[in-house]
Amino acid sequence: MIQKIDAPISVNLIYDHKRRSVYPKYILWEGKNYQVTKIGLHHTYRLGKTLYHVFSVDTPTLFFRLVMNTDNLHWSVEEIADGECN
Amino acid sequence: MANVINLPFNPKKPTLMHLDLNSCFATIEQQANPRLRGKPIAVAAYNSPSGCILAPSIEAKKLGIKVGFKVRDAKILCPNLIVLSPDPNKYRNIHLKFRAILEGYSSDVIPKSIDEFVLDLKDSLALKKGITEVAIEIKQRIKTEIGEWLTISVGIAPNRFLAKTAAGLHKPDGLDVIDCNSYLKIYQNLGLMDLCGIKTRNTVRLNNMGIFTVLDFYDSPIWKLKAAFKSITGYYWFLRLHGWEIDDVTIKRGSYGNSFALPKPFITSEELAPLLQKLVEKTGFRLRKAGYKCRGVHLSIVYRDFTYWHQGVSFADFLFDSKDIYKRIFRLLLKCPFQKPVRSLAVSVFNLEKNTNTQISLLEDLIVKESLVKAVDCINEKWGDFIITPATMLGTGNIMPDRISFGGIKALEEIIT
Repeated sequence: MIQKIDAPISVNLIYDHKRRSVYPKYILWEGKNYQVTKIGLHHTYRLGKTLYHVFSVDTPTLFFRLVMNTDNLHWSVEEIADGECN
Repeated sequence: MANVINLPFNPKKPTLMHLDLNSCFATIEQQANPRLRGKPIAVAAYNSPSGCILAPSIEAKKLGIKVGFKVRDAKILCPNLIVLSPDPNKYRNIHLKFRAILEGYSSDVIPKSIDEFVLDLKDSLALKKGITEVAIEIKQRIKTEIGEWLTISVGIAPNRFLAKTAAGLHKPDGLDVIDCNSYLKIYQNLGLMDLCGIKTRNTVRLNNMGIFTVLDFYDSPIWKLKAAFKSITGYYWFLRLHGWEIDDVTIKRGSYGNSFALPKPFITSEELAPLLQKLVEKTGFRLRKAGYKCRGVHLSIVYRDFTYWHQGVSFADFLFDSKDIYKRIFRLLLKCPFQKPVRSLAVSVFNLEKNTNTQISLLEDLIVKESLVKAVDCINEKWGDFIITPATMLGTGNIMPDRISFGGIKALEEIIT
């Protein structure tokens, strides 16, 4: 089931200077810690002049669409899915 | 002409590559969400029973689901089908990443649509590796640099048409070459309708001249093809099938337009006005951003009973302000003789000219007007679309979402520049 939401979320973001890569490692969502096991896709878009980074990530139990607003560096979760049909 | 009549298949080594991202929107969604991989999914314009499917995944295609199906019909074939709404930003990002990889091989990269490119390696150093090796390398780089779930079909040929045909031979993840050594074998296994541009009516035209297979088509003399198509098109088809380039043309932009499929069957001009205004605002903004002004507007309406009405008008003065464009288009709407439930609305502006110098008018101060419009555009660009809007648009909210057009490539200029 895919659930569209728009809520703040805590994200642990790693920058690896050797591989020059940035990726979320842990997510704290509704009191539960999720370890990111796979980055499906990282893409960006702009709303006005504000740049947003979108990380589509998978954890052992759920998929999250995480969005970072680069104006204030705040994170929100826009989608949660378990991969099953609605 | 005598030389053309005896023209053999183009003997030169192929340098053109047609690259097609397989099941583009659906595969990108599966790339983003690993939980959707290997499952039948579809991206549909709207996630409602009558929503139109834009892109079924490879798994859904295997179950018989095709582009253009309604969601309700697709669910009959596959009750577990996962239906997603389009995410244009995601697809544009992949398009730009795909393009960046290709530009590393040649400066001659032509996007044909959101998921298709033509790469010409004619003057490229990369050709020294061998064109097939370059294609294999690109396939691999797409997997490592963009996403491991993404596959492309590549066609290699001496002209664009045959490169596209080759890309369609083995989907997904194909790699085929049509050249002077392989064309006969490939033509033997193709039907007329497998050729891009030949559908039912053209097949009938060819059949009437005794052409029933692609080999018949290839072997036909120019006079026969001209007679079949009753135009110069027959000669173009002769060249295409013989591997000579005829499709290397750049089409100049002639118009800007936006359309919208209505969620409710509005009838009156009062109900349609806010949507019309929003379409005009989108079109006007794109027109000005590209540095154009227009001398013509067009409105077309498709009704729920699938009847159609449209009208365009040209005028002497140039327009750039959405307010003025809206006035002209609204006048067209008032001329419409039908009062029926509307399925979709489309507006466009044409007779374009680069907005270099503004002709001063005696009736209004166009310089001031231009400055005001520019200021509003700047604010809308900085804070997001439709921050400042005409009052007519009140109530339209988010009902007209961002969309990527299929087939047309002109809109891609706007995401690249």
